[in-house]
Amino acid sequence: MLRYWLEKIWVQNTVLAVLGLISLYYWGWVFDFGYDFQWPILFTVNDTYQLNFGIEILKGLWLTVKITLISSLIGISLGTALGLARLSDFKPLNWTATCIVEFFRNTPLLVILFFFYFAFPQALPEAGREILFETQFEFWTATFAVGIYTSAFMAEVIRAGLQSIPKGLLEAAYSSGLTYMQVLRKIILPLAFREIIPPLGSEFLNNMKNTSLAMVVGVADLTWQAQQVEALTFKGFEATTAASVLYLGFSLVIAFIINGVDGRIRSSSNGKNSLPVMFINFLLIPMSCLNKIFINPVARYMRQRRRVTMQAGVQVNTTQLILKKVYKTLVLISKGAFLLILAGLLFSLGKGFYNFDWSVIFRELPTMLIWQFPNATGDDLFMGLGGFSLSFIIAIVAIFASFFIGLVVGLGRSSDNRIFRIPSLLYIELIRGNPLIIVIYWVYFLIPVLFDSFINTVWSASIALTLFTAAYLAEIVRGGIQNIPAGQVEAAYSSGLSYWQTMRKIILPQALKQMIPPIVGLFIAIFKDTSLVTVLGVMELTSVTKALDNRLMIASMELWTTAAVLYFVPCLLMSKYAKRLEMKLSPEQINLKM
Amino acid sequence: MRISRVLALTLALVMMASVAFAGPSYDRIMKDKKIRIGVMTDSIPGAFFDAKGEWVGFDYDITTELAKRLGVDIERVKVNNKTRIAFIQQGRIDASVANMTHTREREKSIDFSITYFFDGQKVLAKTGKYKTLADMKDKKIATMQGTTSEINVKRALKALGVANPAAHVISFQKESECFQALQMGRVAGWSTDATILLGYASKTPGKFELVGDFLSDEPYGIGLPQNDSALRNAVNAALQDMWRDGTYMAIYNKWYGPDTPFAMPMSGSLELWP
Repeated sequence: MLRYWLEKIWVQNTVLAVLGLISLYYWGWVFDFGYDFQWPILFTVNDTYQLNFGIEILKGLWLTVKITLISSLIGISLGTALGLARLSDFKPLNWTATCIVEFFRNTPLLVILFFFYFAFPQALPEAGREILFETQFEFWTATFAVGIYTSAFMAEVIRAGLQSIPKGLLEAAYSSGLTYMQVLRKIILPLAFREIIPPLGSEFLNNMKNTSLAMVVGVADLTWQAQQVEALTFKGFEATTAASVLYLGFSLVIAFIINGVDGRIRSSSNGKNSLPVMFINFLLIPMSCLNKIFINPVARYMRQRRRVTMQAGVQVNTTQLILKKVYKTLVLISKGAFLLILAGLLFSLGKGFYNFDWSVIFRELPTMLIWQFPNATGDDLFMGLGGFSLSFIIAIVAIFASFFIGLVVGLGRSSDNRIFRIPSLLYIELIRGNPLIIVIYWVYFLIPVLFDSFINTVWSASIALTLFTAAYLAEIVRGGIQNIPAGQVEAAYSSGLSYWQTMRKIILPQALKQMIPPIVGLFIAIFKDTSLVTVLGVMELTSVTKALDNRLMIASMELWTTAAVLYFVPCLLMSKYAKRLEMKLSPEQINLKM
Repeated sequence: MRISRVLALTLALVMMASVAFAGPSYDRIMKDKKIRIGVMTDSIPGAFFDAKGEWVGFDYDITTELAKRLGVDIERVKVNNKTRIAFIQQGRIDASVANMTHTREREKSIDFSITYFFDGQKVLAKTGKYKTLADMKDKKIATMQGTTSEINVKRALKALGVANPAAHVISFQKESECFQALQMGRVAGWSTDATILLGYASKTPGKFELVGDFLSDEPYGIGLPQNDSALRNAVNAALQDMWRDGTYMAIYNKWYGPDTPFAMPMSGSLELWP
């Protein structure tokens, strides 16, 4: 009976509306937040500081947009270069690209930012530093660091996309007489792009969210401005809400554009275009006009000419031969130059390491691993355990707790019933549309408000990470479930299994197996993200490193390199493990030769 | 929201470190015989972790003495310049002894004790390079985000005729970051409370010096919950007793005395009520 009614769309809508109204009423009027809301702070001029904080926040948004756009450009161009380099036959290039990609994928962005900002200029001569500091150094550091970080992830996406072309297709193309360039242009790239666009889109979104870290090098972006309002007026709730809404809006805009591009690539003129696709088409009108008026006729003419020359018979052209030789020597020279530069870099890196004060590292390593264990001070948990171990514990707690939430929300998200689907969707999009640092602030503000009590910052950090991770896990769960062939579900239903039986016996066992590699990947991400909870003063690895750096003051390079290694090694090992699992679970890997 | 609430509730029930009670903090402190005080972790020599990994410092010793005089146990909670006020508002701590300048804007959210430490804002720069703040008005200056020094230095630059002071000030999250930026030459000066600057300058003797006059007075107060005058009275009385019987100066000389790396002559006197 209940199920009969629940299947009706209007019942679902009513239930949702009633639930929404009840919670609106409860949170809006009944619940006592014990907090003095002062929304005018966002649009009036503050007397003490003579500032309109709303305008300051909008200025922050503008800076965030700028950093996002430039770093996306860096990310996609460098990512393409790195992705192609990883498929190169020239081994040194291949290895260098692999090293770069692995380094940036497995080190937290926060550590990378500190590295670029504080360590990189010290490697330059005085004059170079002067020139560098003439520019807007903070802005460019943040932009480049975020861009390069993104490029490492994009490189993997692009490589995977290029490698996903079935070998048979390529063989067919080559045997029908197409040249390499033609195959690349007509077969590989169009197909690869279809494969690449969706994951690339989420990388663009991540890139936008990562820009929120620019604040640690003093860039007054959106998060920085929200923080500023909090620091100056103690109205963190209002400021964080404003930042949150703006981030969410920006995320939606990016998602809209990506959907448009995706739709345009997938559906070639079947008449019914969705709104995002129409928007992208509209944006591309100048381009397509240019194409029609100028490029297409020229290309036609060129093709015509080529056909004529081909018909005239194959002639060995001496200039062509010379050009080919010049090209080959150029390639050789550039290979040699690359090797020289690489050797120089490795040499200076080695020299830098040789000049390290290793005694500092050996002396402080135990502190970085376990902090004050077992001599707790103040409100410490786990007998004062901190540093690397605490980062790891937080990550473990978050991945386990988020697994259950993620499973439930993921099932809800892939359910046909709106009562489950829409709240799950809202949860996922709300969390995924905001940077982790904003989620951390939310949990930090809301827990005391909701429960009239507070918990140790370690736990509020863990809760924030859990809620954040659960949204991503839910999407992995949904992907896993959708990958199961529809026929299996139909077969299960028609053999009389209920929804839960189908889920438990047929779908989840298969889906979970497929989900293991992405979950390991997610765990790596969480482990790196624990570096962000340093904003709450939790003594995890980044905080401990900062505290040590603060005390010693003269061994920054040594300490931050050690921290980077401590993050990097476990992440690298886990990502290698994830890759091996993936290979084991899907044996049919085809490698494309470039 | 529903899921997060259930989860957070379970977590809160299982792992709650301590519970905030309603009602005035003073009664609770006396009933539990325990005061929770927020102390910084990276302010040298205010409160920091020394080479042995022990939590020490001027503020640290003041909290020990304060709790002794109130006759209660102490639980120290780590705070930073972002959380030291929020924690008091949330009731997570009863007092915050954390390098905090007493300001009118802060007074709107929390209460303060009498001034227990006299500091002033200065600028630290490479030795012999600059004489006053005016010499470096075309360069960049480092400060910490959300501090009074950030606002003061912007005001001072504006007074010197700098059109867009915000473009000349880089606000970092941590003191160590400011010092690193100064060391590598990204900024010409770093402006904050003189005691903090002295602490850092003493690490590399002779390389950095304080320049110019004080930009402002920075009277430090102990942050206390809003409208709890019993607690405020008790804390004020304890501070004044410390001053009267010489304990205060003993602690002061331990950290800022002439033989210490942070030598700074005592420049004022605590407000004493007969």
